[in-house]
Formats: sequence, structure tokens, C-alpha cells
Amino acid sequence: MGKLDGKVACITGGTRSIGRAMADAFLAEGASVVVNGRDEAKGRACLDEMGAGDRADFYAGDASQQSAVEGLIDFTIERFGQLDICCLNSGGVQMTAPVAQMTDEEWRLEVDWNLNHVFWGMRRSLNHMIPRQSGRIIVTSSVEGKLGKPGISGYVATKHAVNGLVKAAAHEVGTLGITVNAILPGIIETDIVRATGPDSAIAMGLDGYDALIEMFAQESSIKRPNTVEEVAAVAVLLASDAARNMTGCLFPVDGGTMPY
Amino acid sequence: MGVLDGRVACITGGTRGIGLAIARAFIDEGANVVINGRDAAKAAASIDELGAGDAVHFIAGDVKLREDCERIVEGTVEHYGRIDVLVPNAGGGSDYAPVAQMTDEAMQDAMLWNFWHTFWTMRTALNHMIPSEWGRIIAMSSVEGKMGKPAISSYVASKHAINGLCKSAAKEVGTLGITVNAVCPGAIETDVMMAQGPGAAEAMGLTYEGLLQTFAEESAIKRLNEVDDVAAVCVLLASDAGAGITGSMISIDGGTSPY
Repeated sequence: MGKLDGKVACITGGTRSIGRAMADAFLAEGASVVVNGRDEAKGRACLDEMGAGDRADFYAGDASQQSAVEGLIDFTIERFGQLDICCLNSGGVQMTAPVAQMTDEEWRLEVDWNLNHVFWGMRRSLNHMIPRQSGRIIVTSSVEGKLGKPGISGYVATKHAVNGLVKAAAHEVGTLGITVNAILPGIIETDIVRATGPDSAIAMGLDGYDALIEMFAQESSIKRPNTVEEVAAVAVLLASDAARNMTGCLFPVDGGTMPY
Repeated sequence: MGVLDGRVACITGGTRGIGLAIARAFIDEGANVVINGRDAAKAAASIDELGAGDAVHFIAGDVKLREDCERIVEGTVEHYGRIDVLVPNAGGGSDYAPVAQMTDEAMQDAMLWNFWHTFWTMRTALNHMIPSEWGRIIAMSSVEGKMGKPAISSYVASKHAINGLCKSAAKEVGTLGITVNAVCPGAIETDVMMAQGPGAAEAMGLTYEGLLQTFAEESAIKRLNEVDDVAAVCVLLASDAGAGITGSMISIDGGTSPY
């Protein structure tokens, strides 16, 4: 018997890395899961790999677009009849630059991708969860939601904003059987970090991608990056009945990096 | 198969309330558990209730005494051959009053009960965990380890001190396979709360019911927490899956703490 038997989850950015690890962990605990990503082919390949049959499905869409985020939630409810767990996990940066050189276009993208996506998904989910008096919203924030590195101000600012959104929403629905929490991972070598890390390293004045990973690792107590499985284990806990009284929590999975 | 199969845990104050719930959760996940308390009679009832046979062992001791703290941890190693998980869980306070009226004895009592006990058991346990390069320390802090209520400064200060201790120790042993975390529960109506709550409430100018109501109203869920809420988080932190979480102060407070 799994901890999430009969539950239905959707995960933005769920075909790879952290989101994928959440999907695998939720499926292993008995949930049905809709994963989302931009690329239809990757999504279909992900479903094949997960091998969960009718308990898994894919919804194509760009999480920085309101229609895609809302579409994912509507699709999940239509496909499985309900939505119990909404994981707003997608996020990242496209370009990195100091504030003085940050473009409006990049800033708007990061606000849409990291902050507005969470707001759109949360609002749509809550309107389904509030009448049912049951639900879990789990947002992938970041260690940068409490700290701040040079060169990634958009990411830092939007992750801070997401933490505030989570806390406020948690208070709004706290008596309705709905919890709203954020997980704050440290650096993880996800596909997106591998893709954008080299540019981020340059923007931070570091000597390449490996130096970037090493800098994050050295800030932690464990002196290594975190893993997607470590984040997924916390997501399972927060999604389960056992965590019904945990809300508004900013749950660190950062190897001891953040001071608070 | 449990996530703590083969692990040995030591829980101070494990005969009732939060500690007993953690013991039950650990045993359900396959661990052997030492529980501690001052009263062997109370422990006998708890051990009966757990019904775990050889998977549970009781060591009597007063955590306000250094030699007892060391003996509880060493006794765990003697009985089960090792210690993998330490939960310094016992704690409380007494003779609550505003700082202007707080006695040295009341401050010392809370510091011994909460802070020194955590330090003494942690130090002893780390000396076993460091050579084996695996360990989990899960200290019982409180929502009051992040915030502060009037008239319970002894409790608040000692719980804040536990958080600081955990953060420093986490950095010391972070590369050795050992994690050190604090869990910060909101108010739970445990035996200790029922025993000490009325005194704390009086010092705050509240009734006991009023005190509980104050805690509930501060939260997002508008009710108190439950012991099983804390136990579920402790299982995660104690498991292999918790390897990447250290130096953290995990709030289990229904949304009370602002950070």
C-alpha cells in the first residue's frame, strides 16, 4: 500500500530531473500523475520510461505561458477526475547577467516562468481544491529563495517572491484541508543546470561550469550537490496524509547551505 | 521492508508524547529503538503499548544530568551495538515569568533540560557516529526556537540555542555522512504541555485554554499540531533519503513560523 494511493498529481516540468524524480516517487506510492514539458517527443519518451500505464499521462506546454499552466491542471482533472497534488516545479533562467546588464525580455521571462507560473497554477488548483476541502500544493523554490548570488538576480528575486506567495496562500486555505509548501533545493546537476550553468558561471566571473558546481557545493555542509531523489522524498512526505498539518513551510534540501 | 531497517535509534523522553510517537514510527520502519524517561513504571506501560519485543529497550535517566545523558547514549551502543540516530527529544521549562522576574533557577532548569541535554547527548553520539561515518541527529526544537513569546524566555532562549548548536555541528560533520537537524513543532497537547501549560499560561496572563487558542490562532491551520506530524518528518530525516538535508530547522507548525 502506498502513501499516495488513489491520489492524482500534476507536475510542471515533470519529464526530467527534479520533476521526473517526483513523478517516479509519486507513482511508486500509488498516485496517478500527469507530467508536463514543452517537448511532445520527450514527454512520450518519459511516459515509456516510467512504464506506469494508465496511471501516467503527459501534457505538452510551456510553463511560462498561462494557457499551458492552466491547461495542465484542467487536463489532469479531466483525465483523472480530480487533482489532489499540484507540483509547480518548472523554472529556471535563459540568460544570466548582472542587474546593470539585465534585459527586460529576460527579466519578464523569469518572472513568468518562476513566479507567474506558480501563481497561475496555484490559483487554478485552489479553485478546484477549495470546494473539495482537500489538496496539496508543492512549489519547487530554491536555496536562492533565501540567499542571493550575483548574476542571477531574476532567479533570486522570483524564488524569494514564490516563498512569499506560498506563505500567504498557506494562511488563506489553512483551515480547508489544503497545504501549501515550498521545497528549497540546493544546487542539483539537473539538465537545466547543465544547459544554463556554463553561462551562469561566466556571469558570475567563474572559471567554467565545474567551478560553478564546486562553488555551490563548498557553500554547503555536505560539500556536494544535492540529488533529485532527495527532493522527491520530501515531496512525497508533503503530499502524504502524514503532512496534513505542515503548511507554509519552506523546506530546505540544501545540505546545510542556508543559515535559516 | 522499512526505511530504517537495521538502524539503531536513541530517543530521550521517549515514553510519551512526541518521543513515543517517534519511537513507534521508527520501529514501524524497522529500527531498534532505545527510549528514555525518568520513571520506569511509565516506561513499562509505553513498552507494552509499543508491543515491539526486542526492538525496544528502556534506559532510565534524568536528562538534566550530564552523566545520565552520556549513559543513555552509551547504553544504546552497549545494548544494540551501535547508534545511528539520536533524537534528543526531552525538554520543557518551569517557573515561567517575564525576564524581569525570572529566577536564575528557572533559566538554568530550561537550559539544562533543553540545551545542555541536547549538547551532552549529541557530543557523546557524535563520537560514535564519526568513526562509523553515518549518523543522524534530530534535535527537538520548537516554533519557539524561531520566534518568541513573552514570559517563556527560558524556553525560547534554550530552543534558539539548540538551533544554533545544530547549525554549527552540521557544518562540522557534513562530509562524514552525518546530518544534524532540528525539528520545530508548533504547540502540541502532550503530557508535558498539559503539565507545564497552565504555569506558562498564568505567566502570560492567560488561561490554559487561552494559551492553546493563542497558539492555534497564530497558525494557518487554526488548530494544534499532533505528535504524528513530527514523527513523519523524523522518519524522513533519519532515512537514507534524508542524506542531503542538514543544518535545517524544519517547521512542523501549521504555518506559524515566518521562516
